[in-house]
Amino acid sequence: MEAFFAGLIALTDPVLLLFLVTATLGGVVIGALPGLNATTGAALLLPFTITMEPVAAVAVLTAIYCSATFAGAITAILINTPGTSASATTCLDGYPLAQRGEAGRALGLAVVSSTIGGVGSVIVLMLAAPLLARAAYNFAPPEYFALTVFGLSMLATIGGGSPIKNLIAGAFGVLLATVGIDLMTSVERFTFGWSELSDGIGFVPVMIGVFGISEILVQASKLDIVHERIRMKAIALPSREDYRRVWKTILRSTGIGTFIGILPAEGATVASMIGYNEARRWSKTPEEFGKGAIEGIAGSEAANNSATGGAMVPTLALGIPGSPTAAVILVGLVVHGLRPGPTMFTEQANFAFSIFWSMMFVNLLFLAVGLFGARIFARVTLVPVRVLWPCVFIFSVVGAYALDQSMLDVWVALIAGIAGFFMRRYGFSVVPLAIGLILGGMLEQRLGQSMVMLDEKWWLLPTRPLTLFFLLLTALALFGRPVGQFIAARMTRQG
Amino acid sequence: MRTINKDVTGTHLERWLVPALILIFCAAAYFLTTDFERMPPILKRGIQPSDFPQLIAGLIAGLTILMMLRDPVITGNRISRVNWATIGLLPVFAILTAIDFFLALAVTATALAVLWGERRGRILLLVGVAVPVAVFLLFDQLFRIRFPRGILTSLWYG
Repeated sequence: MEAFFAGLIALTDPVLLLFLVTATLGGVVIGALPGLNATTGAALLLPFTITMEPVAAVAVLTAIYCSATFAGAITAILINTPGTSASATTCLDGYPLAQRGEAGRALGLAVVSSTIGGVGSVIVLMLAAPLLARAAYNFAPPEYFALTVFGLSMLATIGGGSPIKNLIAGAFGVLLATVGIDLMTSVERFTFGWSELSDGIGFVPVMIGVFGISEILVQASKLDIVHERIRMKAIALPSREDYRRVWKTILRSTGIGTFIGILPAEGATVASMIGYNEARRWSKTPEEFGKGAIEGIAGSEAANNSATGGAMVPTLALGIPGSPTAAVILVGLVVHGLRPGPTMFTEQANFAFSIFWSMMFVNLLFLAVGLFGARIFARVTLVPVRVLWPCVFIFSVVGAYALDQSMLDVWVALIAGIAGFFMRRYGFSVVPLAIGLILGGMLEQRLGQSMVMLDEKWWLLPTRPLTLFFLLLTALALFGRPVGQFIAARMTRQG
Repeated sequence: MRTINKDVTGTHLERWLVPALILIFCAAAYFLTTDFERMPPILKRGIQPSDFPQLIAGLIAGLTILMMLRDPVITGNRISRVNWATIGLLPVFAILTAIDFFLALAVTATALAVLWGERRGRILLLVGVAVPVAVFLLFDQLFRIRFPRGILTSLWYG
């Protein structure tokens, strides 16, 4: 309880408040720009946090996460282009509503739904993260190993892409994590005699490369796209009738989004898809979906914003990222010398609650930003790509260099950018690569410790109940869908 | 097995080249691991340094074979000239850093803008001069980052 109030008191620091307001405004700009999303924004701005205090640094990253996730709705509604992938489903009803001359109403609904979703999920985060951490406090290496395997297996379902390709990308990230000196034996691996590689491949340059530089290369093939912006007079708060129609949808999507966010690796994109589909399934007028149904906007936006708080639960309590952006925040924690995991709530509880309260503040702040500034922020969509992306390139390269002041990191970012571009071209998501890189070291370390503990008898792993539980969840994540499809196909054939 | 629509698949070469490259990469990684130092049983701490990378390389290879059978590589359009030229700018940037880091940034950013169709002088000045200078000053003054010395940065550092 002491940490709960200490976190709240931390918000009285004017410097922290200034950082949060700036980061929220920056996050809204990032989210509103097509092509830039919360993950890319957080990766690009991570180097800017290096001189900040840890609380301020992580609070800034989470502020960007929350506000950019919300701001994707601005472009989704006004130019039919989701600012972030999590707002793709917002386009489906937001843009038709805007075309009918109700852009202000659509944005008002998006802002209110996002705020309720975000605040709801932060409350869950405040309650669930310490409980989860307490439950995980007594995890031994086999449990942690199985949990990490489960986290990696969830990469299969990321972003709706090919599960096999996602797993290949994730495994590639894990393999990259083995570069450098093996922490357990001090043996050099894949360093080719370069001392610079002894510490391994840096997370930050890889993140900047795969999210920032690869996006520049992807954008090079989208130069012909012309965005037509719908004019908006003023944002309108939802009417009483609107609230009556959407309150159940908002609550349902908040629950869905928070739960999806808590699942390792699954983020706002998946949450918004499920939130939208459930809104349609429960609607009394499903035929209106796709034509400007306000439940569609509310379902998508409440879900994607509630996933932000949910995603921070496993990130802080277990050290396993709950979403791609949470993976960047996890890197931010590590860069600042913090150890995410169960001990965070015993040794750094004040820090954890400062972050929770910061997220709460940001969620309330973007209600104001959204209501009063959406028209202004909508104008950032007018920034020409020919100006925006060269600037992103400058920030990417300088950011990659800045953290360790190493040119090797710049080369890593460039190579990761080119690799990321080709991966995306051939259907491999870059998100699993980044998460695999982050979790790879932990996975190997836990495997080694488990082997020591079990006297090198790996087959004893499933004899531990929690380990077995996580391994079963892994099997479900990997084979649940194909087995389900197989059973459904058989049942259809049998009539 | 899924039916492949020839209109949306990449060239025949790409469809097989990508998995082939991944398999070659795995084989190379596995081969490299055979050179890793082996630890005596008392020091190996559960697994040998080569065990885990070998396991992952094997896993990638297995998944790649599965991908070839169940979910082959599909590509849309050919990579455009602008795309190739943009990729080509990255090694140019790398070479130019030998002269000066910020000169390389300015030249590459300007070239990128020009390549993507920007012709307005003041915009090119913004991208090629104002932004790199602002970023340099921000990182140098606020974050105390020392950039590699070059023709321009040496003028600043003295």
